[in-house]
This record gives sequence, structure tokens and C-alpha cells, in this order.
Amino acid sequence: MRELRYTATLRALSTGGVDFILVGGLAAVLSGAPINTFDVDVVHSREPGNIHRLLPVLDALDAVFRIQPERRLKPNASHLSSTGHLNLITRYGPLDLLGTIGQGLGYQDLIPHSVELQISEELRIRVLDLETLIAIKEELGGEKDRAVLPILRRTLEEQRKRSNP
Amino acid sequence: MAADDLTGLTDDSADGVDLTLILWMLSLTPAERLELAEQSANEILAIRELNARA
Repeated sequence: MRELRYTATLRALSTGGVDFILVGGLAAVLSGAPINTFDVDVVHSREPGNIHRLLPVLDALDAVFRIQPERRLKPNASHLSSTGHLNLITRYGPLDLLGTIGQGLGYQDLIPHSVELQISEELRIRVLDLETLIAIKEELGGEKDRAVLPILRRTLEEQRKRSNP
Repeated sequence: MAADDLTGLTDDSADGVDLTLILWMLSLTPAERLELAEQSANEILAIRELNARA
């Protein structure tokens, strides 16, 4: 079995100087939501310089499109420049690189809605805040998104109580 | 024998959300939450694999 290594994935992106925001289930977990997740979802900056930094990191992670992993199709600069979602599999597990999320929100749009969290001594990453995560899931309205909303809303409520006792 | 009163010891949330789990998660640091997510996902995958072979 391939072991999932979320921290190693995030460290590789961060060490490679990639500008990204962690979103999705793992962002919810880092905000305190008790849910399970099996992939790392990030919105990356689509600036040419960032794509230039991202490509060698993906190469080092052995990233290929996971729909047909046997074909070993690697993402290229053009894929990474798009607003679409790249569902990849890496040596550390599934990694989704999202050009935009919600109603076309990209990296720059999401920066004001993110917080920086310390993951280890040397690793600090930007994570989408729970409020925005909830708003985006409400907009999407898919069954999977709706299912997790009650947990996210209660977590946000408790988070707010703690910051404003 | 009468059942013990669980008032205040459990979460009777109308939406079915377990508040005790949320409070426990919020008591952890982000690094601890990440480690927990990684471990639990790996354990679930290991159990799935074990049972797929059976």
C-alpha cells in the first residue's frame, strides 16, 4: 500500500518556493473539523514564475494524472496555467492542484481569506479559512459537500467562541 | 437498576454533529491535527487493503 504523507507533500511544495493555499478536507482538519480525508487539495498561483517553480517539485514528487496512472501522464505548464482541477497521484498520495475553486476564485482572490499555520519548526503554510471553505461548499451544493457542512459549521461556531469568549 | 444521568456528559446535537469530537480537535495544535489525519487515513487504508485481500 502507498502510504499517505500529507506533511511531506506540503513540505515539498513549500521548500520548492511554490505559492499555494491548502483548501478542501485537509484545510478543514487543520481548522479543527473532525473529518477524514484522503488527498491534499491546493489552489496554486498560476503566475508563470510559480508554475516554473511548481514543475520541478511535481517531478520530484513523481506526480502523474491519477485517472490513468499506468500512462504516466505528467502535468505540464499549460495544464498548470488553466483554471481547471488537476487530479494527480504522487509518491506521497493523491494531490489535487486547483487553478480555481468556487465561482472562479484563484490564488490571489483567496489570499485575504487564508491564514498562515505553523506545521513544524520549519514549515509554515497558508490555509483557507473555515468561513470561506463553508461558503464555497454551500455554493457548490453537491451531496459530498452538503454532507460535511454541519460539522464545518459547528466547528466554526466553536472556533469563534474560543476567539471571543 | 436506574440508568446514570448523562446530562452534561454527552452532546445531544439536533444536527447529529458530535460536539465532543470538535472540542477535542480544537484542543490540538494544527500540527497535531495534520499528524492525526495522516495516521487515521493510513490506518483506514491499511484495513481496507487487508479486507480486500481476504
